[in-house]
Amino acid sequence: MLSSRFSTRTRFAGLAAALTVAVSFTAACGSAPTEQAGGASASKAATATSAADLGGMDALIAEAKKEGELNVIALPHDWANYGEIISTFKAKYGIKINEENPDGSSSDEIAAVKSRKGQDRAPDVLDLGQTFALSGAAEGLFAPYKVATWDKLPDTMKDPNGLWYNDYGGYISIGCDAKAVGTCPKTFADLLKPEYKGKVALNGNPTKAGSAFAGVFAAALANGGSFDDIQPGLDFFKKLKEVGNFNPVETTTATVEKGETPISIDWDYVNAQYTEDFKDKGLDWQVVIPEDGKYASYYAQAINKDAPHPAAARLWMEFLFSPEGQNLYLKGFARPALLQAMEADKTVDPELLDRLPKVEGTPTFPTEEQIKKAQEVVASGWSAAVSG
Amino acid sequence: MTGPTTGGHPTGRGLLARARSGGWLAALPLLVFYAVVFGGPAVMIVIGAFTVDGRPSLDNMERSLQGGYLTALLGSVRLSAVVAIAGAVLGTFLAQAVVTSRSRWLRESVLTASGVLANFGGVPLAFLWIATLGNAGVVTTTFGLDRFGWSLYNFWGLALVYLYFSVPLMVLVMTPALDGLRPQWREAALNCGATPWQFWRHVGIPVLAPSLLGGVVLLFGGAFAAYATAAAMVGATVPLVTLMIGDALSGQVLVGHQNVALALSLDMILVAGLVMAVYLPLQRRSARWLR
Amino acid sequence: MATLTPAPAVLPDTAPGHGPGGRGRPRTVRVWRGVVLVIAALYFLVPMVTAFVFTVNVPNVGFTLDAYTQIFTVEGFVGSLSLSLGLAAATIVLVLLLLLPAMLAVRLAAPRLKPVLEVLCTLPMVVPPISFTAGISALLPWAQDVLAPTPFYQTIITIQDQRFPLILVLAYVVLALPFAYRSLDSALTAIDVRTLVEAARNCGASWPRVMLSVIVPNIRTGIAGAAFLTLALVLGEYTVARLLGYVPFPVWIVMISGSQAQVSVAVSVFSLLLTWALLLAVSSAGVRKGSES
Repeated sequence: MLSSRFSTRTRFAGLAAALTVAVSFTAACGSAPTEQAGGASASKAATATSAADLGGMDALIAEAKKEGELNVIALPHDWANYGEIISTFKAKYGIKINEENPDGSSSDEIAAVKSRKGQDRAPDVLDLGQTFALSGAAEGLFAPYKVATWDKLPDTMKDPNGLWYNDYGGYISIGCDAKAVGTCPKTFADLLKPEYKGKVALNGNPTKAGSAFAGVFAAALANGGSFDDIQPGLDFFKKLKEVGNFNPVETTTATVEKGETPISIDWDYVNAQYTEDFKDKGLDWQVVIPEDGKYASYYAQAINKDAPHPAAARLWMEFLFSPEGQNLYLKGFARPALLQAMEADKTVDPELLDRLPKVEGTPTFPTEEQIKKAQEVVASGWSAAVSG
Repeated sequence: MTGPTTGGHPTGRGLLARARSGGWLAALPLLVFYAVVFGGPAVMIVIGAFTVDGRPSLDNMERSLQGGYLTALLGSVRLSAVVAIAGAVLGTFLAQAVVTSRSRWLRESVLTASGVLANFGGVPLAFLWIATLGNAGVVTTTFGLDRFGWSLYNFWGLALVYLYFSVPLMVLVMTPALDGLRPQWREAALNCGATPWQFWRHVGIPVLAPSLLGGVVLLFGGAFAAYATAAAMVGATVPLVTLMIGDALSGQVLVGHQNVALALSLDMILVAGLVMAVYLPLQRRSARWLR
Repeated sequence: MATLTPAPAVLPDTAPGHGPGGRGRPRTVRVWRGVVLVIAALYFLVPMVTAFVFTVNVPNVGFTLDAYTQIFTVEGFVGSLSLSLGLAAATIVLVLLLLLPAMLAVRLAAPRLKPVLEVLCTLPMVVPPISFTAGISALLPWAQDVLAPTPFYQTIITIQDQRFPLILVLAYVVLALPFAYRSLDSALTAIDVRTLVEAARNCGASWPRVMLSVIVPNIRTGIAGAAFLTLALVLGEYTVARLLGYVPFPVWIVMISGSQAQVSVAVSVFSLLLTWALLLAVSSAGVRKGSES
């Protein structure tokens, strides 16, 4: 009796364990394939550094169509007109686009590349903030590729080896609902006026959101700082909080429409898009690039070195950097990287160009070193500045 | 199949001895599962927390306990403690109100709603409150609250919002416990001449104590780990450790700060460990009463 | 709700205060109860109503339900919802399979394991989902590399399969442990487990029989409670799924909100209502089953 009861219990436990193991085994068994699936042509696309390597644009298009799919990540439809860019690409080449995590950040994109290495779900192409493009290139995550219009890109806007290349960018701007606020602020100095109590918001935290970080940098430039010194920016926001004008809410379309964040410091293309979106909703959203603090930044494109669809990825790049693609960015109020070249070639759409928020002069950018230093200052000082 | 050795006496040494070894075996699947699925990522967090540029180092942990990070850690603990206690008290009252009502409809809908709201959070929750009590919120403008200097965007405003998922959680925890509070006990106490207050003090609360404590710990943990609501509503104006972690792990600005974020995550686990270390002996003491 | 109460002794459900303590007490109790309920109603309902009004009241257009109809026209509704429900079902089964034997074992045979179990089942609540996901994201590629030459490689790949990501089930089980544990714990406390098991074993029941025919029916309400809470968790869980790159219902709902203000708030209101409806369905099924026994 004793032994049978013992064995029943043990048998039960053992059965349960065996079942679990058996299920997992039958569900999935097999070691890593020793060879990458695909064959000769796929690996050719994976190492192509320009369309010429594959035998020209038509060969690239054919190869991409054969792959049939493209994985993109963190491309919101209303950001720099990505919605139309995606649908135009789909319609033009018949390639299915798998969109993932539209509100993801650059670090989410890099994390996805790293954690899904070798899988079909890995992102093919990335749209990253400048610092992430630099660090990703240093980590060897990208494949070198030079688009057809490579030579027309200014040297400051691309990696010499073709690992990343700026695609579009914009200036920090002050967006404001004239209906709710009355007189809209035009400069950073204006923002401190008492009539804007509780109304001035950022698009997130400068320690997390790129546009908020740029906002602090712009505020620094407006208050005696420089690319080497972002502290005046922190001091500005500290003052903004002290006079009661700072609204810590993160700007979204919902908060803007509700009237909670009638003044928003954000990229000019984001604010200009709001003007479009809210025209029929009773808001008069005006966008101004402040004279005292002009800060511009560009995003960068890169191809995943282990992209599951290498030819489609390269075709995507060719599309983005063609006049058609760059004009689509322009339609989303973003400044295309090839703007100067397109103005010279007359391939730019003059109507779209006219709609951009006005700004004087050409932008200068901080170096990687300066940005890193500024990030450290903001990371350690932001919380103290606004929580006091 | 019964033999003379299987007498029903619960303290039969033979039966217990056999059961004891089987006991560990029965718990094994859970322990193994936990070790792999929770332990695995936890080990990665620990490794990351102690790595700087690929080499083992205490730097991250040191940094995580200084300056702004320390303020954030303490801020989170403070907020979670306030929310846990307030949520526990209010949740228990609400649970009692629901349990003692005769309406089945009320009970069903409140309990299911609690199940839904206990998992509600993030940006939508933030927006709910911004729209209601924000600077341009409906209630704020209707009652002119801004004249009194009202602002939702501070420690207490955030605590108010955190109650939205904490109180329902407490209701879910306390309802079974309150149901287990037999009405006969109350009647017996009253028969002996006790006032309701005395009943609660000497019978009710001691019986409920284990569940109350468990609820407080659960609420603390939930508030401690919450992130998206605070990010959308108050940003860094209320220093919280989860915001710092989120900034470093999933942001657009900080590159290469992951390991400090992992060190902060480890700090959070250690704080939780401290809370459990206080809670467990208290729980054992209070549960002993019930034996 | 019957699903969350432990099986009570068979006694009439008398409200406290109905003793010889005095006639006045019931009225005080009723007033106090009313006050609590009114305050709770205000606190929980006013923000909801405010958000709802925002979704149906478009400036310049007036009242419109457009924001809600848009939810159904966007593709992916059925797919993501069924994925979430499938994940929830798998999570519930796995949670119960893992927890019940362990909790029984602790009660019957290994009381020293109780604090261990308590800690294990509370720890997941304190780790922010974002850190947990960071740990998982770090673990997976490392596991892939290490296990590449072994048969387990394919297992790691399969659990990340897009169509039914078991990795999410595993993560959700860990996240659901605190809730399920509390629910089952209060149910098991309410019944005298030792005596029941002794009696069943004396009658010659094998352990599986004891579990299935004796324990489970008596803690039916605790099990239903655990299932209910897990379902609510899976339908509300967003961070882990999004960061790992899957699109169950809560993630899909944020994805489609895009740039439209009303739609983005409408989807959350809608998802809350849908979850509530599903939970009501589960709980009334529990009530019906309970009354049949």
